[in-house]
Amino acid sequence: MNPYGSIFPEVLDLEPLRKKHIPLYRRQERIQMDGNGAAAIASLQFWRAPIYAGFPITPSTKWLEMISTYINAGRFVVEENGRKVSAKRVKLLEAEHAVADYLVGAAAACRELIFMTATSSVGLDHMTETTRSLGASGLGNVVLINVYRATANYPLCIEGDPSDAFAHRDDGWIQVVCRGKQQIYDTLIQLPVVGMDPRVLIPTMPGYYGIKDSHRSEPFFVEPDSKIHEFQDSLIPWRCPLPGLIVGETAMGNCVTSAHFQGFKWEQKKRMDQVLSVLTASSKKFEEVFGRPGIVPFEAYFMEDRPPRVLVAMGPDAGTAYEVIRRRRKEGERLGLVVVRLLTPFPSSLLREALKSAGVIGVVNNAFHSERGHLTALVSEAVSGLPIQTTGFFAGLGGADISVRSWEKMIDLLSVLKPGESRFVHEGEVL
Amino acid sequence: MSEKRLAPFMEMAQKESCFRPGSTLCVDCMESIAFQNVGRATDNGIKTIYTMGTFCGEVSTLLWPTVVAWGRGDQEATQFEKSFSIIHNVFESASTVAEGIRDTADILLELGALKKPIQVVANSGDGGALVIGLRSLLHTIHRRSRVTVVVLINEFFANTGFQYAVTATPYSETSTTPPGDFIPGNLEEPMNHVGLALMAGAEFVAQVSPAFPKDFTEACERALSCSETAVIFVPSPCIAGWKFKEGRTIELAKLASETGLFPTFLKEKGKAGSLRHVSLDSKQRTPILRFLAPQRRFHHLVHEKNGEPAVVKGREKEVALIQDWANRNVQTLQRLTAWDVA
Ligand SMILES: Cc1ncc(C[n+]2csc(CCOP(=O)(O)OP(=O)(O)O)c2C)c(N)n1
Ligand code: SF4
Repeated sequence: MNPYGSIFPEVLDLEPLRKKHIPLYRRQERIQMDGNGAAAIASLQFWRAPIYAGFPITPSTKWLEMISTYINAGRFVVEENGRKVSAKRVKLLEAEHAVADYLVGAAAACRELIFMTATSSVGLDHMTETTRSLGASGLGNVVLINVYRATANYPLCIEGDPSDAFAHRDDGWIQVVCRGKQQIYDTLIQLPVVGMDPRVLIPTMPGYYGIKDSHRSEPFFVEPDSKIHEFQDSLIPWRCPLPGLIVGETAMGNCVTSAHFQGFKWEQKKRMDQVLSVLTASSKKFEEVFGRPGIVPFEAYFMEDRPPRVLVAMGPDAGTAYEVIRRRRKEGERLGLVVVRLLTPFPSSLLREALKSAGVIGVVNNAFHSERGHLTALVSEAVSGLPIQTTGFFAGLGGADISVRSWEKMIDLLSVLKPGESRFVHEGEVL
Repeated sequence: MSEKRLAPFMEMAQKESCFRPGSTLCVDCMESIAFQNVGRATDNGIKTIYTMGTFCGEVSTLLWPTVVAWGRGDQEATQFEKSFSIIHNVFESASTVAEGIRDTADILLELGALKKPIQVVANSGDGGALVIGLRSLLHTIHRRSRVTVVVLINEFFANTGFQYAVTATPYSETSTTPPGDFIPGNLEEPMNHVGLALMAGAEFVAQVSPAFPKDFTEACERALSCSETAVIFVPSPCIAGWKFKEGRTIELAKLASETGLFPTFLKEKGKAGSLRHVSLDSKQRTPILRFLAPQRRFHHLVHEKNGEPAVVKGREKEVALIQDWANRNVQTLQRLTAWDVA
């Protein structure tokens, strides 16, 4: 007897979907596009993604507009019994909450397909009730592209700081930060296979900074659809171990008493604990197939000589930090840089290992926090017990550029600030 | 009753409901009776998927692992057509979740991946569908999604202890509109939920209780055969919140229709609808007192003395206003039976 009730696999065969997929690219090409475009292209290349749901909010809207443009142009139209039907569809809902609810129904109906949306800021907040349910649901086949934008509307700011991503760190999703269009494109391709791995079954939230990455163009490589399918299909099972609503006799989203609640949460945690190893294995495969590195928990620069002072940062401004540190190292300063990519689950042990020889760590937070910064708290926790001072900086809030002068200032402050202190830095000035 | 007229009931009675014994719904709860009957209607040779809002009907039937009162038959299904799935997401979006399932099944069917059809039924309380979830309900209807939406109307948030909902009868007691000397219960008139569903574009809208089995069966069958959204509002006496004596659920459900507070209403888009089990002549209509008196939520207005209703002294005005509301409600619904008929 199947613990989940009867399953009727014979009524559903996904092969026609795979066969009827009309590729966007047949060979590798170098194209130029903004981040939302890069994410949209990747999304459209999946044969497993038949429906894209959305509701507009700057700066994520262009993902939805671009998807709609391709689909409405008839790019995916196939003949089916003499009728023209589109193998891909857009679903416009009346609110972000509805988008998330809709994704629950769709993803639960068929757990081998991928269902995607993109949102930002208060849009993500509006979904919260359901994103938190989704995080615990086992529906690893939901992808929510979080285009970072300052959240909380007093004052409203449409540019990209990751306060939305941090506010949703406890939703129970896998969150990965990208910088640059290639990373956005590659992450979109890789992340669903991590979420849908039978050991994981956790929805995924790839993220990138609004405006800086969503709206600025850059060249990057796109891969042939067939290669993407080969990669994904080699890692995503054709049959989810848990039955969907269509093929199974399934009851999902039950109530439980506290006694059973513990078990559900323990099991959710166990799945989250698998993410790092599944991610690492899929990154290896990604590199084999595409020749570019897959997702890493964090990028480490200039860390080989175990520098005593290290900056930990996130997002596209880390590129400026890289240049500043490179120059100052030439001048003889031993400085290192760590750029976080896996936000949830936070790769604490790996980070601890990487940072263990540092004396002072400056953690650069791009989102408001009542204490020393979300990232500071996470990094401090990772190195707790080691004789390391962690300093919190706030810079680039609301998506402001972090200038060379600001990075210089933060590096200078590393040797001045006392343990536990934090500072706002903008345009090279301490606020 | 002739054998011929009994035949449809016999057929329905022999169907296997997807609602199983074992729920913890109150004895005499109309939600339970509705589930039993809608559940039978879904035994029509098509795989059924239910979505649930958060409400009595969910928390009392989906308690894992002991009380999962769902599934067709005593054994696991051996036929896809008889199989049954159910999902609860949040309080206010059963119809949106249903739409996600519907669209996924549709695209899989159209592309030749899914070999057999499914039917989707979204269930919520009136709080879930008409208060916090009105957006979800109206937009699913507006998008013409092919789902059947069942809304159980017990006039408040029963699951959380009988707080005011937008469907509450004027001057009724709820836990958040407790009648006091200053404010005698709920001061708001109910929202026109039938009108809203029609105007949003539902293909079929019914307000019908299982207390009228023939009409209820008809409504379920018509709803399930729609190609766009169908909505069935089920007026649902709630013994725990309405506070009436055991065994009176069906009687009160009938009175709810006959007094004009929840008249039986069936209407298909573009065709003349019907108002049933209510007199169109207000003088002939069952007085609302007959409905109010057996329920202690109206105790501040009406008592039942020797089986007869007696208005509480000083509350004549409120009772007259409820009667007036019921009369207007019948007129409104009567107009709605023909609103889109040329
Ligand atoms: C967003 C949200 N707010 C509040 C609640 C608490 N809540 C759970 S069920 C419920 C009332 C359900 O009322 P209704 O839909 O009328 O169904 P009934 O229980 O009366 O059958 C409430 C308020 C919730 N679950 N979610
Ligand atoms: S409280 Fe009311 S609605 Fe809830 S189970 Fe009891 S009778 Fe039914």
